[in-house]
Amino acid sequence: MSRCHCQTTRRGFVTGCSAAIAALAGSRFNSLAFAQGGNPNDEILVVLFLRGGQDGLNLVIPTGGYDRGRYQALRPNLAIPAAVAAARPLGSLPGPDGAVALGLHPAAAPLFDLYQDGRLAVAVACGMSANERSHFDSMTWMELGTPGVGNTSSGWLTRHLASASNLPPQMLMPSVSIGGLQALSQLGSYETVAMGSPYDFSLSTGPWSARTAQRVALRNLYEGDTTWLHQAGVQALDAVDIVELYASGGYVPLPGAVYPDTWFGDNLKTIAQFIKLDLGLRIATLDLGGWDHHESEVVNGSPTQGIFADLVDELSRGLAAFWADLDDPAVNFPNQRLTLVVMSEFGRRAYENDATGTDHGHGNNLLVLSGHAIGGLHGTWPGLREELLNEGDLEVTTDFRRVLSEIVVRRLANPRLDLVFPGYTGYQPLGVVTGVDLGVGEPIFSDGFETGDTRNWIVGP
Amino acid sequence: MFFAPSPRPPRLYSRPTGVPARAPAPLPGSEYPLASAMRRKRPRLGPGPPDLPPVRPPLGVLVYTRAGFGHRGSELAAFDALGGTDAERLAAWVTQQLQPAAIADTECDAKLAAGAYATLGKSYTQLWQDHFVADNDWDERIQPATETELATWTRAVYSKRQLLESLVHFWHNHFNVYAYEFVEGPMWVHWDRDVIRAHALGNFRLLLEAVCKAPAMLVYLDNFVNFAEDQAGYSNENFARELLELHVLGAAASYGRIPRSQVPLDPQGRPLGYCEEDVQDVARALTGWTFDIDWESWRWGGGNSGQFVWVDSLHSTEAKRILGVDLPAGRTAQVDGRHLLDVIAAHPATGRFLATKLCRRLVGDFPPPELIDSAAALWTSLWQSPTQISQVIRHILVERPEFALTWGEKIKRPFEIAVSALRAMGTGVRFYQQVPAPPDWNDWHPDFQRTASLHWMFESAGQVVFGWHPPNGHPDLRGAWQCSTPRVALWRLVNWMIETDDDGNGRFAGIVPWTLATLPAGERSANAVVDLWLWRIFHHGVPAADRAQLVEFLSQGFNPDLDLPLTTNDWPYYWQDRVNSLVGLIFMSPEFLWR
Repeated sequence: MSRCHCQTTRRGFVTGCSAAIAALAGSRFNSLAFAQGGNPNDEILVVLFLRGGQDGLNLVIPTGGYDRGRYQALRPNLAIPAAVAAARPLGSLPGPDGAVALGLHPAAAPLFDLYQDGRLAVAVACGMSANERSHFDSMTWMELGTPGVGNTSSGWLTRHLASASNLPPQMLMPSVSIGGLQALSQLGSYETVAMGSPYDFSLSTGPWSARTAQRVALRNLYEGDTTWLHQAGVQALDAVDIVELYASGGYVPLPGAVYPDTWFGDNLKTIAQFIKLDLGLRIATLDLGGWDHHESEVVNGSPTQGIFADLVDELSRGLAAFWADLDDPAVNFPNQRLTLVVMSEFGRRAYENDATGTDHGHGNNLLVLSGHAIGGLHGTWPGLREELLNEGDLEVTTDFRRVLSEIVVRRLANPRLDLVFPGYTGYQPLGVVTGVDLGVGEPIFSDGFETGDTRNWIVGP
Repeated sequence: MFFAPSPRPPRLYSRPTGVPARAPAPLPGSEYPLASAMRRKRPRLGPGPPDLPPVRPPLGVLVYTRAGFGHRGSELAAFDALGGTDAERLAAWVTQQLQPAAIADTECDAKLAAGAYATLGKSYTQLWQDHFVADNDWDERIQPATETELATWTRAVYSKRQLLESLVHFWHNHFNVYAYEFVEGPMWVHWDRDVIRAHALGNFRLLLEAVCKAPAMLVYLDNFVNFAEDQAGYSNENFARELLELHVLGAAASYGRIPRSQVPLDPQGRPLGYCEEDVQDVARALTGWTFDIDWESWRWGGGNSGQFVWVDSLHSTEAKRILGVDLPAGRTAQVDGRHLLDVIAAHPATGRFLATKLCRRLVGDFPPPELIDSAAALWTSLWQSPTQISQVIRHILVERPEFALTWGEKIKRPFEIAVSALRAMGTGVRFYQQVPAPPDWNDWHPDFQRTASLHWMFESAGQVVFGWHPPNGHPDLRGAWQCSTPRVALWRLVNWMIETDDDGNGRFAGIVPWTLATLPAGERSANAVVDLWLWRIFHHGVPAADRAQLVEFLSQGFNPDLDLPLTTNDWPYYWQDRVNSLVGLIFMSPEFLWR
């Protein structure tokens, strides 16, 4: 059985695969000479989206100062006890009512370890000024990278990949979206492979005697024309070839990396697998959903138990396992090339509702886990006094694009913020990661990109 | 089986007399003879050059593909008999389909009966008692949801009421609720049967009220805990916000967090859309719209009957203003809420939003503005008509030219791919489950195994029926479905369909028997078999290069006019496997995905 399968697979690959993959197969991507001279940028960006609007005020919790009292008053049932949160102290930030001390939710203990190691940067009160407290508008605007404009035809990660001049001309698998359908931040990207899991991502069904020939014919059918649908099909076939060739053998994380036994944990594991396979992965997206806690955010009157605590636990254990798994000497410590951003469409209302839940809010934390993180607290604390809230919500003091821009410039070394975040000007790093602010806003790179057809990228309102 | 193998095959699916073997004749009345269907080939240049649109198929195929879940051959013949011109046929078909009760649906009824579903006929009270109140295990609790899902597949595949099924699918997505939850699951038969299906072709205002009263939606979007702040100390605006944004006026009509006085007005002096203050007043107007569940009913001294109630004691009695209309203070939950529903159902932005979504479903991803304008105007003018939805559907499909003239601006979503393949292929699948499932797979009924396998393989395509968590419903734009996840999942699924074994009686899909029965011995060349199946699946030509690929695949290097020994399946050629794979390949091809 396995012999048959291998034979079929192999022949299918060799005869059916596109020239680009055939040329790259066997010689791993990073060992290729960079066509334009110099070393290609090899940093990896993972974007984790917490769907539903995560309650950031109960993850990064005021533990001291005037705003601790405000937090308790706003959240009589939901407030995490000061002593509990202060056991994982993040430090303090100046605020309009004096310094506020902040601490992590107890279920985020694994994240706190990363914080103490200086791997985790926490940027407070991030978001968009354009905000209607709508999940769908907010997610769409954020992932497209164009607040207030929902009909942009490409995602911000798509535009990064298209505008980066420091990536090799051919890449085996530059971008993935793991867990389901393609993320909106990768909208319009033909380089992105979306998949549920490597296990389900093969063409190993159908009468075996015809599999190889069917696969060749299928590729020919999709390569036979140039409509967007044909291109999408070719891309899917390429991806199947790559995954089958490299990732079908199962995956064993490092012993110390214990992923949560959940869909989210599996998806993180898949990304770690692709990173270690050295297929040239640069961009990965995944989701952790279920944060829309309008009710029952806590159980048994204990704010440290319930669905929110469970999700924080899953999130934290997952990220810690992912980090530990990539701290792998056998493949040159890929965590040193990693930057992982945790974002959500908005925070939740500062005050709790009567169902021990919270409604849609505004400002929220952005978490940045990176081999080049400048660990610690960042950003401007807006305060929790009634007049300082934005209609009852934590105010936004840092545009989310500011943090993402810094990662694009400093880690991915792509200065073309005018293309990645059109309409966003005045780049000013917040200091969440180390790196060089080279060439931002200066058209110093002549890579042919300017002559490309950007009509397909941005459709104005 | 749809296409039961028979010694005397229907001539429609074999070669019409007098037509060369390689060129099936167009259906009578088709404006698109095969020659024009052969698309010019261009070299692959990568992204950039404009797409050549796929060639529009005969009208019957178009109608069944876009206003239904794909065609079965017998339906196309019936469609063509409906009139002398395409226009007559389309008008007659829509008239028939808009009266679904008058369409005999015996095969579908038989399939539903064979499914032996235990919950589809239960009353509201029975559903509540048997599946919510009874403290049974999870499989039994959500049985109304799982059985409705199986019935939905069954109807999509077997029902002749294809337009109704399409619109039910549309409304389920428009008023999306995730089914597999504690209250939603037990009450799913009510949600599907008494809310969505009962109003799918009727009046939107009535549909809306039924939606607002259904436990499934009340729990899913939290309105069951939306109470007057001064009474309960708590309100919940989740439903109000999604109602305006996703169900009625649409996000495009949102003016965000600006004062009410700044929302621009139309020439009649009505606000063009809504703002944050409207959301809050809509939430207030719907306070006390809840149902009798003991989690909450202690607040008003109720019980646990599951029945919808208007709780005036928890209704906000203050004055509200919604979209420029005053709702006076001191009214009951029923009066306030119904007034609200009148206001939002009658608002022109609602007509525009619903018309846009219906045109997007039925015509193309980006419907022409003049089509939306005319459908929206009609929608709004008919908002009190009991046949509002039917009349607008007729307008879009028949009275406007765009529907019949548009092709290839959409692709099938995963459910439509799977169902249209099952319809074209003609399997005799019974969608069936055992509750509770026997512990050992070997003890599972073969139909249950098959249903479960199909379900598992389909699940990874991203469009699980009733399985979409956020309230916006499965996306209806191609951008959401063009990525590799659904492509690969459905390629796998199609190959599973064509090779699944029918209890040891041969391949489930019956592809080879039908081929043998339809093509006489001596006429089973690769060319003939490919044309036969292209004809059955598409009823129109495919690009010549695509056809050549299929012929090459089947002929395995032999002369494509050679009569193939299709009664054998032996080493080294495995001809029957090859024919099965050929049909799978056609379902996997780009041509099969256009809508």
